[in-house]
Amino acid sequence: MASMAQLMFDEFGQPFIVMREQENQKRMTGVEAVKSHILAARAVAGTLRTSLGPRGLDKMLVSPDGDVTITNDGATIMEKMDVQHHVARLMVELSKSQDDEIGDGTTGVVVLAGALLEESERLIDRGIHPIKVADGFDLACKKALETLDAISDRFPVEDRERLVETAQTSLGSKIVNRSCRQFAEIAVDAVLSVADIDKKDVNFEMIKVEGKIGGRLEDTVLVKGIIIDKTMSHPQMPKELKDAKVAILTCPFEPPKPKTKHKLDITSTEDFQKLREYERETFETMIKQVKDSGATLAICQWGFDDEANHLLQANDLPAVRWVGGPEIELLAIATNARIVPRFSELTEAKLGTAGLVREITFGTAKDRMLSIEQCPNNKAVTIFVRGGNKMIIDEAKRALHDALCVIRNLVRDSRIVYGGGSAELACAIEVAKEADKIEGIEQYAFRAFADALESIPMALAENSGLAQIDALSDLKAKQIETKNPHLGVDAVFAGTNDMKQQKVIETLLSKREQISLATQVVRMILKIDDVRVPDDERSPY
Amino acid sequence: MMRPPIILLKEGTENKQGKQQIISNINACQVVADSIRTTLGPRGLDKLIVDSKGQTTISNDGATILKLLDIVFPAASVMVDIAKSQDAEVGDGTTSVVVLASEMLKRVKPFIEDGVHPQLLIRSFSKACEEALSYLKELEIKISGEKELREMLVKCAATTLSSKLVSQERDFFANMVVDAVNTLDESLPLSMIGIKKVNGGNLNESRLVKGVAFQKAFSYAGFEMQPKHYTGVKVALLNIELELKAEKDNAEMRLNTVQDFQAVVDAEWNILYEKLQKIADSGANVVLSKLPIGDVATQWFADRDMFCAGRIHQDDLDRLLAACGGSILTTVSQIDDNVLGKCGKFYEQQVGSERYNFFEDCSKAQACTLLLRGGAEQFIAETERSLHDAIMIVRRAKKNDSIVAGGGAIEMELSKMLREKAKSIAGKEQFFWLAYARSFEIIPQQLCHNAGLDGTDILNKLRHRHAQGEKWSGIDIHREAVGDNLAACVWEPSIVKRNAITAATEALCLVLSIDQTVKNVRTPSGGQMPGLPGQ
Repeated sequence: MASMAQLMFDEFGQPFIVMREQENQKRMTGVEAVKSHILAARAVAGTLRTSLGPRGLDKMLVSPDGDVTITNDGATIMEKMDVQHHVARLMVELSKSQDDEIGDGTTGVVVLAGALLEESERLIDRGIHPIKVADGFDLACKKALETLDAISDRFPVEDRERLVETAQTSLGSKIVNRSCRQFAEIAVDAVLSVADIDKKDVNFEMIKVEGKIGGRLEDTVLVKGIIIDKTMSHPQMPKELKDAKVAILTCPFEPPKPKTKHKLDITSTEDFQKLREYERETFETMIKQVKDSGATLAICQWGFDDEANHLLQANDLPAVRWVGGPEIELLAIATNARIVPRFSELTEAKLGTAGLVREITFGTAKDRMLSIEQCPNNKAVTIFVRGGNKMIIDEAKRALHDALCVIRNLVRDSRIVYGGGSAELACAIEVAKEADKIEGIEQYAFRAFADALESIPMALAENSGLAQIDALSDLKAKQIETKNPHLGVDAVFAGTNDMKQQKVIETLLSKREQISLATQVVRMILKIDDVRVPDDERSPY
Repeated sequence: MMRPPIILLKEGTENKQGKQQIISNINACQVVADSIRTTLGPRGLDKLIVDSKGQTTISNDGATILKLLDIVFPAASVMVDIAKSQDAEVGDGTTSVVVLASEMLKRVKPFIEDGVHPQLLIRSFSKACEEALSYLKELEIKISGEKELREMLVKCAATTLSSKLVSQERDFFANMVVDAVNTLDESLPLSMIGIKKVNGGNLNESRLVKGVAFQKAFSYAGFEMQPKHYTGVKVALLNIELELKAEKDNAEMRLNTVQDFQAVVDAEWNILYEKLQKIADSGANVVLSKLPIGDVATQWFADRDMFCAGRIHQDDLDRLLAACGGSILTTVSQIDDNVLGKCGKFYEQQVGSERYNFFEDCSKAQACTLLLRGGAEQFIAETERSLHDAIMIVRRAKKNDSIVAGGGAIEMELSKMLREKAKSIAGKEQFFWLAYARSFEIIPQQLCHNAGLDGTDILNKLRHRHAQGEKWSGIDIHREAVGDNLAACVWEPSIVKRNAITAATEALCLVLSIDQTVKNVRTPSGGQMPGLPGQ
């Protein structure tokens, strides 16, 4: 479509160009632009729709390098899809934002935004100004949030059992639902051990998630301590240490080197001998210093050569080399050790303690890892994930991350709503009721918002193999009749629609975020009426 | 007899002159204005621009859009310039200045076509502009009193924000912006308001930190062992690298014996340790440096329950300086209690997926930070631009405490007054004055157009009301009718309008006074000449 700006002619009949490379730009304006955006965004939402809920299916994504990812985590799917379209990318950002903030409900937010856009298309067709639609959505969103607050329950954060149930809801839709309970417990324990309940703060950097191929998902454990993918530096060092005293060193086992550029001239054999002697001496003093402090295990950030290795072994000092910075840090926190930058500063006070340090071996593989357990401070924990293949482990890690986030959100704000689409349905009913009271065109947008909210239970029902319309209208009638906002889609065929009984719990924070984020993005998309994109086909490069 | 043609210019040079030149310049300016016309007002829509690198920008801000359009046509770039100047001078009203200028150009086009000399037009337009400004001065309302002043600022900010993406939250942000500007000192330096964007979260989770907040810097091992919560904080602001390093870069040492080796190493360590000890002795418990703080120093501080962070941005350091006092040190030799910044509270907190450091209750409190949250990157970027506009408005309004009513009210009134004045002028200048007066009506007209209202109808109503002396009646977009905008609290600082009128008139005069363009061919190495057809 050539708009006026594409080509203009002056009085001499020559075309003149106002903008640089305008012939290489695609431009779309007005309703046409809004509609094409809605289409693009809906296409993205359509992809995710089937991943929603406990019966949602996974997507397999193959990257250009041939890496395979299997997941039903909305944010991951969106990220790996490598979306090109500029408006569709907004949807990707939307799910990413939900992921960053809440960590869970990344699929739901995109599905909801898609549904809102679908509804708004209908309204725009009727000639309602896009901003009017967006305004109406905003008002409706406020009403929906109020409803959410009203139907929310306080949640006893102290009650571990209830936390586990909540985590199970999040894990229910993931690949790990086979051992849902176990994963839920792991997630809850991990968060509770690092959480600062008073400040309502959970530092995820204190939870390390390690994975190793082999074993079953059920073998996944929570280690109150650290697991590092390293072994003792010398094969003959003991494989298991009890009540170890740990020295954490960030200096290499080698003669000190000044940072200033230097040069040592060796002119004679004696000098060379002396140097040799000096190096050996330094090694010995270093080892002696470590020994003297009372340490029984040395953990080094840097490496040391075979000679040092041998000396360490000869002096009965087990050591681990090349341990990464973040792990050093976690180790120091877990064992109450201080990180020591110089051998001369090593004292007994700076050592950490660990009840058990052992090398673990896996099956027939030669892989070994070092686990440091029974540490005095359980502010740092490791979740050790096992699974049949890399894809399962990666997916399990993502699922765990979601569950961890859910628990963290509960620690931050202990209010909950019930899942299974019950909260959405309750909001939809309230919003629809409110719509009739509104004057002006916003009324239409209000109703549309209510319809869009229903798309979540609808998708749930569809994915669970229920007759969607039947199930939904049935539920809606029941909710209105019994005034029970906890009725949702019985996706797992547990026999009851009451989500409170089924213990399908979601955090209020996450639901609120979903609804308001989706509304925001929809507003943003509706507000665009002019697009200029470099035209790939016509551009010279 | 044929005379050989005289070749004056190099071949390929574009040379245009005369009346046609002015007309085509006017056309070009209108194309530019057309591209941002629809962003005006609360129902204005946004533009999405993808540049050649694939970067997406969604914006409603006239200056931002024009900048991204990359305009090469010489005369049309005048429009970009006035938008930019409006942005730099008052920060808001960038769209209206361009729309106004293009409308003025449109109105003079028939005169040019009829053969009126441009200079005549320029002269009477300049005079009319002066007249308009003096009317504006008469009309503007002074606001006084502490409480009224604050209310005025909030209303002005809200008016600016009402046309932006964040319009639903405009009251929330308007208050936030006013609070932010109020923490600043006399000179209202913009750089003391830090804006931090964190993806994720909800718009109304954005908050104003009365103090300084910044993202946790890259940290070395040992960082997590440092305490993250202090009250009664003493901050040492440094510009020193606290790392083991070569003290002199291009020095080379020649060591004779191996023992010297150890001595040199020790010396290096001692240099660092001395620095650290001095900082610790000064009583500081938070150490921030613009340059990196290495792992050794991090662990050393952790050992002494002090907090440190390296690679802090200069802006953040400057804000800390303004908020907490103290001074930025480039050496630790004279560090003592006096040069340390002081603030009440320091803590680290999770914001979205990032961890942020907060400094609050600062002793001088002349800096603040806006922490913006929002769904998508483009969303926050646009919020930032909107808030920037609002901040600029509040800053200007704080110094110029007079306001006018927006929503087309002031434009209609000026138009009316100019029309009346025109009737007292004899000769053909009267037509020019009338044209100038008419062009002000474009603002309410465009507002109606963007909102999908009947522009002709509303404009007639407005003219009628203004003729009856209701000088503040303008368009009430939300009710889709005509109303008193002063009562409806659609307020704008008069400086915005003053600047817009001056800039638009000047642009008009500039375009009119050009009667010849000579565009030289670029040397072949310089690439293709933009704007030259058929190359």
